[in-house]
Amino acid sequence: MTKLGLGGITGSRQAFYVVLGLMAVLLFVPQMHNGYLENLFRGILMYGAMSLGWNLIGGYTGYVSFGNVVFFGLGAYTAATLSTHGIRNVGVAIALAVVIAVIFATLFGPPILRLKGHYFAIATLGLALATQEIVSNLDYFGGGTGLTVRQDQFFSLYYYVMWGICLVSLLATYAIARSKLGYALVAIRENEDAAAVLGINATRYKVLAWAISGTMAGAAGAVFAFANGFIDPETAFSVDNNIFPIVMALLGGVGTVAGPVAGALILTAINETLWSHFPKVHTIFFGAVIILVVLFLPRGLLYLFRTRLSPRIFLESLRAYRV
Amino acid sequence: MGLFLQDLVNGILAGGILAVVALGFSLVWGIMNIINLAHGAFIMLGAYITYQLFTSLHVDPFASIPISFAIMFAFGYVIQKYVINNVARAPVLTTFLLTFGLSLLLVNLALMIWSGDARAVTPTYAGSNFSVGPVTIPWAKLATLACALAITALMQLWLARSKLGRAIRATSMDIGAAQLSGVRVAQVYSIVYALGAGLGGAAGSLLSLSYSLNPSMGEPFIIKAFVCCVLGGLGSVEGALVGGLVYGIVESFGSQYIGTGYQDAVALVVLLIVLILRPTGIMGKATA
Repeated sequence: MTKLGLGGITGSRQAFYVVLGLMAVLLFVPQMHNGYLENLFRGILMYGAMSLGWNLIGGYTGYVSFGNVVFFGLGAYTAATLSTHGIRNVGVAIALAVVIAVIFATLFGPPILRLKGHYFAIATLGLALATQEIVSNLDYFGGGTGLTVRQDQFFSLYYYVMWGICLVSLLATYAIARSKLGYALVAIRENEDAAAVLGINATRYKVLAWAISGTMAGAAGAVFAFANGFIDPETAFSVDNNIFPIVMALLGGVGTVAGPVAGALILTAINETLWSHFPKVHTIFFGAVIILVVLFLPRGLLYLFRTRLSPRIFLESLRAYRV
Repeated sequence: MGLFLQDLVNGILAGGILAVVALGFSLVWGIMNIINLAHGAFIMLGAYITYQLFTSLHVDPFASIPISFAIMFAFGYVIQKYVINNVARAPVLTTFLLTFGLSLLLVNLALMIWSGDARAVTPTYAGSNFSVGPVTIPWAKLATLACALAITALMQLWLARSKLGRAIRATSMDIGAAQLSGVRVAQVYSIVYALGAGLGGAAGSLLSLSYSLNPSMGEPFIIKAFVCCVLGGLGSVEGALVGGLVYGIVESFGSQYIGTGYQDAVALVVLLIVLILRPTGIMGKATA
């Protein structure tokens, strides 16, 4: 199988700096005192963190997870449950969400990460669906009706915290990509048997990558619960929150540092434009956008930074994978 | 004992439909290595075709099975030939997302046409049933099971005996060798996906008698089809049949003894256990 990555371990360095600059600009969004924009950009930062998380396991390690929303949902429910018990400090909620994500990944990682390809993808999807169903059956978590999340902190705080989570995830991805861990993960993606022969403890690295991946999504979920003020199984484990981060990573560039954040920004912009112009049919267009990206831009937008622009690059993948 | 038997019968009745649901999914996965996330949407479209024929033209739901098979077959052929064949050999992520996008598109198109309201197909015989000892069996469900078994048997016969069936089996065994023997792989792929879609449509028609219809009704069946394939082994007709029946029975007993709310969770836990203990399925080959 040929790889969809960009070669190189971090992808384009320039793109990384562009995204860092963008992050600096995003810090000032709450200053505009526009509730709509603050919500929109908090969403982008949230998806940025989740997409970076997915990218670590799905992009760098090559284990296509279709259930990373489970960490997001657990994080959101952690914050909501703490809030109903009177603990409304977002920092505490994030810390506990991270601990739960790590425990969950360590518990389920070793058996599930033995599976490859489709089996891994569906096992993670099944894990997310089963967790959602169990949560919606437990009265302690509000059952199917969900939980109201009371917040008593200054509201824009949640924006800044989400920004911090996205930035930390971005920098962590950069650091991981250039570290021994990053090379080990890419080695596992390219050829797991060969990596094992070279002395890489594949299981340990895969579980570690999945745990870090879950940490990013879990922290984002905790903040989301406070900012949203309400959580039910359908929102916390939603299909959107499961699939958007994957499409974003693909749109930006799978297995690159900057790709997921760039993808989050662009896909949210596309989705928002479609939604405001075609409120009834925007999901149809969204389906079409996914199909077009997969067919014509499977290496992601960052690839365009790397090569001379010509119509040919949009047809490359069609040539490579046609039967 | 009566309850036990009733659960067993319910499980078998549900399992027959699941076998047809899984069959189309299994062929596409086993032969082309594509997880077809649009399979649920095909099932949904099949159900709506039956609904539309029943309400506008008073066509009997059972008589509409070949029609929804044919319509979905043609649709699947076009999709595979002009879209999916272009990336059929790409890594997992590509075809996963591609079929997911297709599913999103179809489900929301259906939402636009038929709205999100629940619909039902209610022929006059829908409520009638008969009893054997302590067990009650609805006629419609028994007929559905018979149709499901007939479809499965026809597929098995066609794959085993026809020239095209042989070409399909050859392609799934060794794509290179099949090509060398003159099999046109792109053509086989299009036919296989068309069959998958057609069987999905037929399954939808069968389901329309016992499930209420809405545009997202097909989605739970994707994961169910997957579980059936894993249980029974991939890409074979017997595998889908065994997987469907086992799944139907597990689900029926699960909802009786653990709670209806946990129906899917029980099945998914079974899936995880099977995947972990025997990643290639109960009846699968030694290598994936």
